[in-house]
Amino acid sequence: MEVAVLEFDAAVKRFGSVAALDGCTFAARPGRLTGFLGPNGGGKTTAMRAVFGLVELDSGAVRWRGDPVRADDRARFGYMPEERGLYPKMRVRDQLLYLGRLCGRTANDVGRIVDNWLLRLGLDARVNDTVDSLSHGNQQRVQLIAALVNEPELLVLDEPFSGLDPIAMGVMAELLAELSAEGATVLFSSHQLDLVEDLCEDVVIIDHGRVVLAGALADLRAAAPQRTVDIRYNGPPPDWEQLARVEVLAAEDSHIRLRLGGGADLAAVAAVATAISEPISFDYQPPSLSELFRQTVVA
Amino acid sequence: MSDLRKGWLVAVREMRERSRSRAFRASLVVMLLIVLAIVVVPAMLSDGGGTVDVGLTGAVAEQLPQAIGDQAEALGVTVAVHRYDSVAAGEEAARDGDIDVLVVDAQRLMWRRQADEQLRSILTGAIQLVAVQERATAAGISPDALLEMVAPVPVESVEIGSVAGRSPDDEMAAIVMTVLLFFAISTYGSLVLTGVVEEKSSRVVEVLLARVPARSLLAGKLAGIGLLGLAQFGVTALVALVATTMVDSIDLPAVSAGVLAWVVVWFVLGYALYATVYGALGSLASRTEDAQSVSGPVMVVLMAGYFASFVAVGRPDSGLAQLASQFPATAPLAMPNRIAMGAVEWWEPILAVALTVGAIVALVQFGARVYAGAILHSGPTLRLRDAWRRPTALRSTTAAVSSPSLIGAEVGTGVAEEPSSLPLR
Repeated sequence: MEVAVLEFDAAVKRFGSVAALDGCTFAARPGRLTGFLGPNGGGKTTAMRAVFGLVELDSGAVRWRGDPVRADDRARFGYMPEERGLYPKMRVRDQLLYLGRLCGRTANDVGRIVDNWLLRLGLDARVNDTVDSLSHGNQQRVQLIAALVNEPELLVLDEPFSGLDPIAMGVMAELLAELSAEGATVLFSSHQLDLVEDLCEDVVIIDHGRVVLAGALADLRAAAPQRTVDIRYNGPPPDWEQLARVEVLAAEDSHIRLRLGGGADLAAVAAVATAISEPISFDYQPPSLSELFRQTVVA
Repeated sequence: MSDLRKGWLVAVREMRERSRSRAFRASLVVMLLIVLAIVVVPAMLSDGGGTVDVGLTGAVAEQLPQAIGDQAEALGVTVAVHRYDSVAAGEEAARDGDIDVLVVDAQRLMWRRQADEQLRSILTGAIQLVAVQERATAAGISPDALLEMVAPVPVESVEIGSVAGRSPDDEMAAIVMTVLLFFAISTYGSLVLTGVVEEKSSRVVEVLLARVPARSLLAGKLAGIGLLGLAQFGVTALVALVATTMVDSIDLPAVSAGVLAWVVVWFVLGYALYATVYGALGSLASRTEDAQSVSGPVMVVLMAGYFASFVAVGRPDSGLAQLASQFPATAPLAMPNRIAMGAVEWWEPILAVALTVGAIVALVQFGARVYAGAILHSGPTLRLRDAWRRPTALRSTTAAVSSPSLIGAEVGTGVAEEPSSLPLR
């Protein structure tokens, strides 16, 4: 397993009587996409802001390569806040150059990076337009480039998929996967669990400021004791009542969805499957990310 | 990269973007037009560079035109004499403005409106002189003897103003200076105010603060707008100076270079003082509309300094003037006045500068803390007290995130309500 480069160690942040972070501990690794999940108010944004010193922790630490994050480290981080924002009246390229130079890069250096991204995201004809003259989608693209102006080693994105149309979501997903494959550590929050499931190797689920589940998504799913059985059929319904610790999730004409508790007897499940007279499909799976999420995040 | 360098990048962006904006260019053009109007219009109105037209009609001694010319020359006035055949023709010329005054029979002066006192004394003097000459000739006195008898005794006329050693021109210069300082400080101060609110309301501030500490961001903004203000005023002053020398219409008040240097110093200090407060207060508001009400009290203080400095012009030695010229909030307007009026001991400006710089240092600490506490807050306008107590994480990037902060602990008990604060996420 790769070395973790971004670590939260028992991070605590209180706002008055509310603990936004309450002993938050997790890690993100380079070359892997980490999905950061949790209900609204769970502490995601506070945690991401803590990486950039926008929130000062009451106790605990955020570490980068073993040491508490310093200003010099942040010059190699990229950040897309949940509240998107750019100077509306500033020209696209000027604005991106400015943000890049604030990271300590030379004008030439930033110019090369920025022009690359502008070309790649189809904004090369708009470089001298002001941001507020761009369409919503193009503004989102500029915002993304703003997080990439310094070729970041760590990319932190707060809800990068919110407000994107399906095509833009695809482009964003592809891009994050690519950056991660090139070796960047990528941490992003999202409510779109299906998308995270498709995209991420690692997930962190945070609730009430505490990490309730974290690790490689495949391991987490496999380690969950429950299994889901999804059967589509014609004719008489399958004889599922012989299974132990079973819960019906959905039962319609010609479709039944069951959840089996821990220690399910695989042979018994197979017996149910073979007994169906006219099966259409039979699916036996560990729980999906959505199911894991709902089980771990207590309402 | 050092925080200083980041602050400089912020300042450069402010100057670049603002000098590019249409609003800035329009305001510069308007300022230049106003200055040119002030300089050029009086020159155009004072028809033909100081020549006075005098009409003569009726019985006129033949020496009179010569006498008028001599008298006028002695006072530095050029006179052109026009003759009219009839009183009616002369009156018409006076009414049309072709002549400034009509002299009838060397006995009556006819003006279109109010008499010009200087011209009247020139004309009456000339008429008296000619009459005396005629009577002297009749009495057998030689012209040479007469000239000796009537040789003029020089009489000097001096305007002493209300302060010893300073003329009314100096007073006028001091008043203009005060108006300019007030205008400059309030204009550029409120640019800082709206600039801060714009960054907050457009949300770009979170992107910036991930890269720049709040203190550098605020300081860079102050420096950028301040330098731009100095440049704008410098250009305007230069244009005014060039136009004045070319047109030669109004007398420049004799302001010494020392006094001018003090004006620049006090602009910098006054701007730094007020802009810091404006920047801090701007961070409390989330919308431009709210910013004006937040900053209202500051404007009141600035106005108070403005009026106090008028007192300083009239009575620069009074207790009020002395107090106003030392108190940091009013000193930037009142002290340059007392300097211009020559009413200060050598140590007084130095003390005032020291006090003001001290106040600026304190306000920068205060302002940076309020700014850092409030700038990421969204929703309704924050109260100053709450911003002061809010987490001040943004003040420094060098502090390790891990260090438990005293301020944080203070916040833990201080702010119970967090209506729409983002960090709750």
